[in-house]
Amino acid sequence: MTTPIAELAGVTVAYRDRLVVRGVDLAIAPGERVALVGPNGAGKSTLLRVLAGLVVPRDGRVTLGGDPVASLSRSAIARRLAAVPGQGTLPFATRVEEVVALGRLPHEDPFRGPGPADRAAVDAAIERVGIASLHERDARELSLGERQLVLIALAVAQAAPLMVLDEPTVHLDLRHQVAVMELLADLNRRDGVAVLAVLHDLALAAHFFPRLVLLDGGRVVADGPPSRVLSPERVRATFGVDPAFLARPASGDAIAADLTVGTGGR
Amino acid sequence: MIPSRARRQPAGLILLPAFVAILLAGCGSAATPAPTPVGPSPTAVMAPPATGAPISATPAASPSAAPAVTYPLTIRDNEGTAVTITARPTKIVSLTPATTEILFAVGAGPRVVGVTDADDYPPAVKQITQVVKLGAIDIEKIVGLGADLVIAGGNGFNSPDSIAKLRSLGIPVIVVYASDVAGVLADIGLVAQAVGEAAAGQALDASLHAQVDAVVAAVAAAGAPRPRVFYELDATKEIYTFADGIEQDDLIRMAGGDPITTGSPTVFSIPLEKLLVADPQLILLGDAAYGTTPAQVKVRPGWAVMTAVKTGAIRPIDDTLVSRPGPRFVEALRALAIAINPTLVLPSAPPATAVP
Amino acid sequence: MSIAGRSLALARAHVGRPARAPGTAALALAGVGVLAVVVVLAVATGSVAVAPADTLGILLRAIGVPVARTWSPAAETIVLELRLPRVLTAIMVGGGLAVAGAAFQGLLRNPLADPYVLGTASGAALGAAIAVLIPIRAAFLDLGLLHVLSFAGALAAVAVVYRLGRGGGPFAPLTGLLLTGYAVSSLLAAGLAMTMFLAGSNLRQIFAFLLGGLEGSSWLRLAFAAPLIAGGSIAIAARARVLNGLLLGEEAAAHLGVEVRRERAILMALASLVTAASVAVAGLVGFIGLVAPHLVRLVVGPDARRVLPLAAILGAILLVLADLGARLLGEIPVGVVTAVVGAPFFLALLRGTRSAYEL
Repeated sequence: MTTPIAELAGVTVAYRDRLVVRGVDLAIAPGERVALVGPNGAGKSTLLRVLAGLVVPRDGRVTLGGDPVASLSRSAIARRLAAVPGQGTLPFATRVEEVVALGRLPHEDPFRGPGPADRAAVDAAIERVGIASLHERDARELSLGERQLVLIALAVAQAAPLMVLDEPTVHLDLRHQVAVMELLADLNRRDGVAVLAVLHDLALAAHFFPRLVLLDGGRVVADGPPSRVLSPERVRATFGVDPAFLARPASGDAIAADLTVGTGGR
Repeated sequence: MIPSRARRQPAGLILLPAFVAILLAGCGSAATPAPTPVGPSPTAVMAPPATGAPISATPAASPSAAPAVTYPLTIRDNEGTAVTITARPTKIVSLTPATTEILFAVGAGPRVVGVTDADDYPPAVKQITQVVKLGAIDIEKIVGLGADLVIAGGNGFNSPDSIAKLRSLGIPVIVVYASDVAGVLADIGLVAQAVGEAAAGQALDASLHAQVDAVVAAVAAAGAPRPRVFYELDATKEIYTFADGIEQDDLIRMAGGDPITTGSPTVFSIPLEKLLVADPQLILLGDAAYGTTPAQVKVRPGWAVMTAVKTGAIRPIDDTLVSRPGPRFVEALRALAIAINPTLVLPSAPPATAVP
Repeated sequence: MSIAGRSLALARAHVGRPARAPGTAALALAGVGVLAVVVVLAVATGSVAVAPADTLGILLRAIGVPVARTWSPAAETIVLELRLPRVLTAIMVGGGLAVAGAAFQGLLRNPLADPYVLGTASGAALGAAIAVLIPIRAAFLDLGLLHVLSFAGALAAVAVVYRLGRGGGPFAPLTGLLLTGYAVSSLLAAGLAMTMFLAGSNLRQIFAFLLGGLEGSSWLRLAFAAPLIAGGSIAIAARARVLNGLLLGEEAAAHLGVEVRRERAILMALASLVTAASVAVAGLVGFIGLVAPHLVRLVVGPDARRVLPLAAILGAILLVLADLGARLLGEIPVGVVTAVVGAPFFLALLRGTRSAYEL
């Protein structure tokens, strides 16, 4: 069994006496593509922050690449885990290439700054994500969808073996949601980057991710392929929603057809 | 000395919110006693007499017994600083209008090379280089003139920073500040000694003493009642008059009046309520030169209840001399005495000392 | 492949900078060159005319070059004891304020931040005002009670804001800090108003401090201020990558390897120290800390590694020029010059900038 790229073992997180995460075991192998789903407040975002070392669990072990997170410096963590930032505000006019260049911070020489390798990585990341036409534009003027791609490019430039995203498709229109999903699948398959994404959209998760982890009330209640995790009983029990709702969208074939564009979750 | 004549600096400032207006309105009448003003008392102190007692009883202040001045000379200025003057000064700079007048009155006029933009007496000063503009001291100019002695005004009149800077460059600076008439006379003696005109200084001192005594005697002889006097410096927004314990209070007392002051040594404003309670019997308009007339005063809201307004005892007066603690203060004293008691007969003033 | 790549061949809206901005080193060199010219100009100008050749001679002689003395001792005093320390102080303060301003703008992620945003100005002003009321006449290194108390006041104010602002209540930590800074500033301003009211005839001194001025500059004061300002600024510049990391927010910065809490405290302390030292020797000089970083960003972008050193140079140039202007206009307070020039300039800057601050 190869060393997992990230692992949580028996992790419990408490926030002022309220248990937010209870005894979670989760291991992600190198090159895996995993979606974390569940109702609001299930503890999904907290899990990501535990992985990144931003939250210290009350119990359990957290490792990245086999090493305990607590023993790693922030820079070391940044080289093993690239968290795609949430959409934030930029105080100054900043070019897209400058935003992407931030991803190289953990790699740059602290005294001499970015070197040719860093600049090459930035250009490569921009190309890879397909936003070369945007590279000199002010990031503040882009649409939400474009910005999300820029932030993913930042994570790509960070060149970590694991990429983590927290609800990357929130507020995006369908077209951009699919674009992001396809990009993640592509990065995973072609570059071998492990991807762990928190998603609220079950249809997207089921379609694009071969492994789903369902979290409810801080516990892992299911972990496996979408057909098993999102079985009708599970969906009804966890979400309190008629599973038929998922399988048959109201407008019928048109949407189903769109969702199958691309290679789907494999 | 009183603040410069430029309309009192508005309290509104870059930083201050409306707090200022509220605070000033609320705290006006409950003014906590302010700390003592910067600068210790002058060399020869005499408590301002409750009545205008002649001051010739007090020995005229003279820092050195010998009339001839020898250099190098170390003098203690009004702030207690020991100032060393290595040789007879030939390039003197004066940073206040009063000290300029003193220098000329003791015969050092030809040696004055720098004055302020507010100096106007004697007329010769208009030709002299101005080293102070609107209160800002041009140190570069003073150095450029090769000044070897600077006379400055204390109690914040001239910026203490600039004074320190001049001293750090090796230029002796004598700081004078008089809080009463005796102090003015002492300052004349001090400056005279510093510039090597001790004899002229003493002569001037004696003459001024005599004139003051003459006025005080005349006031005493007239036996008129002593009115409560309000000397108005400005009343466009707040009411400004003399602070406690400054030379002008002394002048008014000697002139036969009972001055109404602000109640604090550093504050120059007085709330209307306090003034109404003090109820002046005579109002002297020091701001007459700015267009304030007795008729205007009479119609001010709330003022009608004052005795002075009821009896029409509101008289204009030339503030320039009153506000200048220089050798011509006796003229101010005479003007005040007559303003307070128009029927007073004063012995004629001696002819003005010839100004070189 | 991706829809995004296909559909976004719109007209390029470049960020308004030249596509390939000149390198930092080249710009810095040019900046230092301009600074040198401005310095010589400033040292050669004043209310007393000193021939340019003599000025140069005096300067050269002072650094040991054997030049024949063709000038009067007064001229030498004026150049070496009055003008030179003053111009050097202007360089220090202008540079320091620009760096501190850039640091606060990056730390607080707010383009309107300036060195005084966390209460430094109000604390310094109150300290200075209190000093004016206290009739003690001590001086150390040419620094009177006024300078000491204004320095202490500035630091104390920031410390209070930092302590109180960390809770922040329901707001995000940075917003909480800004709001606390505003509240503490207002409180201190009230204290200042009261002190000014009690100051009576010493009001003018307090005013002189509030409006900023370099008249009292001397070598001794420079000896006090320079190590603090220069040292602090260099330490801030060394942490430029932290400021870059903060561009997308504190959480993003943590993910990029920045020890956010520690670095934020260090940067705030350094920037406050630089500001406090500047205020102690020059009073409150506005706009340079706000405008210089923005001007530099217009040309080189938001990378703090480029902005900090270039803003320092620009800030130095601006303050030397402002002080020169203040001197020529009859020794008006230099803070008035920076405000009168800075405010309309800043407004023009705002109008020229394209998009809004928020996304």
